[in-house]
Amino acid sequence: MSVINTQAVIAVNRFGLGARGDELAQASKNPKAWLKQQLQPIVFTNKLMSSNEMFVELAKLGEARKAAKKSTNADEEFKKNSKDRKKFLTKSYRALSTDTFKEALNSNNSLSWRLLDFFSNHFSVTASGPVMGAISATLEREAIAPNLLGNFDEMLLAVSKHPAMLIFLNNERSFGPNSRIGKKGKGLNENLAREILELHTLGVDGGYKQADVIELAKGITGWSVANPRKDDSVGFIYRAAGKEPGNRMLLGKTYKQNNMAQGEAMLKDLGNHPKTAHYVCTKLVKHFISDKPSPDLVQKLVSTWQKSGGNIKQVMTTLIDSDWSWQADSQKFKTPREFVMSSLRAVGRKEIKHKELFFTLMTFGQQPMQAGSPAGYSDEQQDWDGANALMSKIDWVALLARKTKANAEKVMAKTLALTPEVSTYKAVVRAESRTQALALLLLSPEFLRR
Amino acid sequence: MKRRQFVKMLGASASLVMMQSPVLAAINKSHKKPAKVVWLVLRGGMDSLHTVVPYNDPDYASLRPKLAKTFKNDLLPLNSDFALHPSLKHMHSLYKNKQMMPIVAVGSGYPKRSHFDGQDFLESGLTTMDHDTGWLGRAINLLQVQPNSKALAVANSVPISLRDTEKVSTWYPSNLKDADENIYESLMDLYQEDELLSSRLNEGLNTQDMAGNSKTKKKGKFVDLARACGKLLASNNDTDCAMLEVGGWDTHNNQSFRLARQLTDLDNGIAALQEELADDWQNTVVMVATEFGRTAKENGTGGTDHGTGGAMFMLGGAVNGGKVLGQWPGLKQEQLFEGRDLMPTTSTFSWIATVLQQHWQLSNDDISKVFPSAPAYKVKLTT
Repeated sequence: MSVINTQAVIAVNRFGLGARGDELAQASKNPKAWLKQQLQPIVFTNKLMSSNEMFVELAKLGEARKAAKKSTNADEEFKKNSKDRKKFLTKSYRALSTDTFKEALNSNNSLSWRLLDFFSNHFSVTASGPVMGAISATLEREAIAPNLLGNFDEMLLAVSKHPAMLIFLNNERSFGPNSRIGKKGKGLNENLAREILELHTLGVDGGYKQADVIELAKGITGWSVANPRKDDSVGFIYRAAGKEPGNRMLLGKTYKQNNMAQGEAMLKDLGNHPKTAHYVCTKLVKHFISDKPSPDLVQKLVSTWQKSGGNIKQVMTTLIDSDWSWQADSQKFKTPREFVMSSLRAVGRKEIKHKELFFTLMTFGQQPMQAGSPAGYSDEQQDWDGANALMSKIDWVALLARKTKANAEKVMAKTLALTPEVSTYKAVVRAESRTQALALLLLSPEFLRR
Repeated sequence: MKRRQFVKMLGASASLVMMQSPVLAAINKSHKKPAKVVWLVLRGGMDSLHTVVPYNDPDYASLRPKLAKTFKNDLLPLNSDFALHPSLKHMHSLYKNKQMMPIVAVGSGYPKRSHFDGQDFLESGLTTMDHDTGWLGRAINLLQVQPNSKALAVANSVPISLRDTEKVSTWYPSNLKDADENIYESLMDLYQEDELLSSRLNEGLNTQDMAGNSKTKKKGKFVDLARACGKLLASNNDTDCAMLEVGGWDTHNNQSFRLARQLTDLDNGIAALQEELADDWQNTVVMVATEFGRTAKENGTGGTDHGTGGAMFMLGGAVNGGKVLGQWPGLKQEQLFEGRDLMPTTSTFSWIATVLQQHWQLSNDDISKVFPSAPAYKVKLTT
C-alpha cells in the first residue's frame, strides 16, 4: 500500500497538475495505468472566439477607426474606437487564457493539460500589439490541442501555418526575392524559419547552417495571413505570387516541389529528423521529470519517437513506463503556473477571475503568452525559484488559506499523503490555526516540488 | 445680531445645537446606545500563566525556573495574587479604571490538546463539533432588543463563531502583501532541512526589511485590523458585533520574547479599538479567549506545550471590571489537570453566556440555545 501510494503521489504531482478530489486514491490502484488513461484529447467546452472571428472583429474595428478619422468629431470617435479595441482585447486573449486555465483547473486528465502547456511554451508566441494581443491564445487551442496526442510533424505544420505564429515571427510578409511580389520590392524574412530550426525542431546545436535557414525561409514564402479588408478571406492564406520559385536544398536534401508542398515537405522532414526527436524528447524529460535529464531516459523516448513516427502519445507512454521517471525524491519545483493550479485544485477551487489569475501569474513571473521571446519561458527551476518568487508565493498562499474553508489535514491526505514522521506532517497538524496549517502545507518543500 | 448671521456663525455645528434642544435631548437620553460586542480569538493557545501571572503562588517559580525570570520589566500587579505581563500596559490601566477583568483557570470543556479542534469547539459553543453553526451567530439571531444589529467578521471568510446567521458580513483589507509574521517563523522551522528554501526565505526577508516601512507595514497587522474594526463598529449604526482574531500564540519555544511581542500587539490593538470606538466604548464589551492554556511547567526549549486551563479577558466601558475572576485551583502536582496543565475550574462558555445575558438581555432559554451545556453565572459582569 505504501509503495503504491508513493507512486500515486508522483503520478498526480510530477505528471499531473496536482490531485483534485479523490484523484490520489484513484491513482493508487495503478498509477501508470491511471496516467495512461489520462492521455485523452483536450476538449474546450466553452465556445469562445476563434482566430478567424477575431480577424473579422479586428477588421471591423479597423474600418471604424478609418471612419473616425474622417468624422467631424474625430477625437471623440477615435477615443471610442480605442476603448472598443481595448474591450475586445480583454475579451479575446485574456478571456481565452483564463478559460484554458479554468479548463485545466477542473480537468480530470491533467496530464494532457500539462502536455498542452508544454507544447504551448515550446511554440511560444507573445501577446503584444493589437493583433497578437488578440489572437496569441488561439494558437494552443487551434493548432496544438488538436494534434496533442498525434504526430509531432503534424503539430509542427499546423503551428507553422497558424496566423499567430506567422504574424509573431513575421512570415506573413516574407516573400521570395524572385517571386512576383518580391520583384515589386518586398523581400525575405528569415525569422520564422530560423526559430523553426533553432527552437521548434533541431535545436540550436542541431547542425544547420545559415544557408539552411535561408532555404527553409524561401520554402515557406507566401505562407501568410489574409487581411479580410482586402483579401476577401480570413485566416491562413497562401500567396502563390510571393513564393520563391525553384528547388530548395535543406540539410543536404533537395526539394523539388512547387508551391506550398515544398515547405510542407521540408517541415515534415524536420519534424521527423533524429535531432528533432532528441531535442524535443530532452525538453520533455526536463519538463516532466528533472532539470538534469537522464540520458538513458531521453534515449528511450527517442527510440519510441523514431519507431512511431514522432507519435506524442506513444512517447508519453514510454515516459510513464520508464523507471527513471519514478525517482522517489522530488526532482524540481513546480512551475509558477503549476503551483497556482495545484494549490487551487488542492483546496477545491473551481473558479478564478481573469484579473486575479493574471495578477498572480504576473507576480510569479509567468503570465500566459508573455514570455516575450519565441523561446518561451525557461523550464529550469533556477529561473523561477528565487527569493522574490517565494515571498510572493507566501503572500498569495496566506491569502488563499484565509479565503478557503478547506481542511489542511484532509488536503494533505488527498494531495501528498504524507506520513506522521515527516516534518511537514508535524508542522501541519501542530499549526496554531487551520489557516496557518493550510498555508504551511501549500508552502511545504513537498508541495512546492514535484 | 440677526438670526441669519447667527446661523452662519455657527456653521456646521448648527445642527448640533438643534439636536441639543431640550425635547431631543430627552429622547436621546431615553434611547440607549446599542450594546456592542467584540469577540476576539487568540489562535494558538495563549499561555495564561505568563500573561496573568500568579506571582505569589509558591509553585510558580519552581514549575518555570527559567521563564519566571525572563520578564524584562516589572509585572503589573492586579491584586495580591495576580499580576499582568509588563507588555499589557493599556489593559492594566483599563483594569484600574474598572473596565477590565481577567478570568483565570477557565476552559471551554474541550478535553484534548489539538489547536484546530480546540478552536472549532470554542467557536461552535456546542458539546459536539458542528462546523456550520457558531455561538455568536446563534446569539445575534436571538438578539431581540436590537433586532437590526448585524455582525462583522474581520476575516476573509466567515469564521465558525459567526456561522448560522444571515446577519453577518466579512471585511478584510484587500492586499496581496499581507502574510502575517507568524507564517515566516513557522516556515523558517519547516525549511530547516531544506537548504535552498531556507536561504531563499532568509534572502527574501532581508530584502523586505531593507525595503523599509512601506513593505514592513503590512495590512494584516492586528493593531490595524483592530483600528479598522473599531471604525466600522463606531460608524455604522447597525454593526453592533464584530469578531477579530490574532494568531501567533503557539509558543513552544522562545516564549519570553515572542509573548512580549504578541502581548504588546494585543495591548496596542485594544487601545486602537477603544480609540476608534470613542463614545461607543462605553456600551461595548470585548471578550478575549483562546482555545486552551499551556503546560504549567516550562519545556526544554524556553517555551510551553499545549495545555488545558487558560485565561480570558472581559473589557470595555460596559464591563464591571477591576477584579480578577475565576477560582484558582493551585499549581501543585495533584492540583493540575492530568498532572500537567492548569485545571479549568469555570467554563469559558458560561462567562460568555453571563455577558450575553446581561449585555444583550438574552433569556435563560435563549442562552440554552447559544450554549446548550453552559448556563450563565450569577455574577454581575456588566455595568
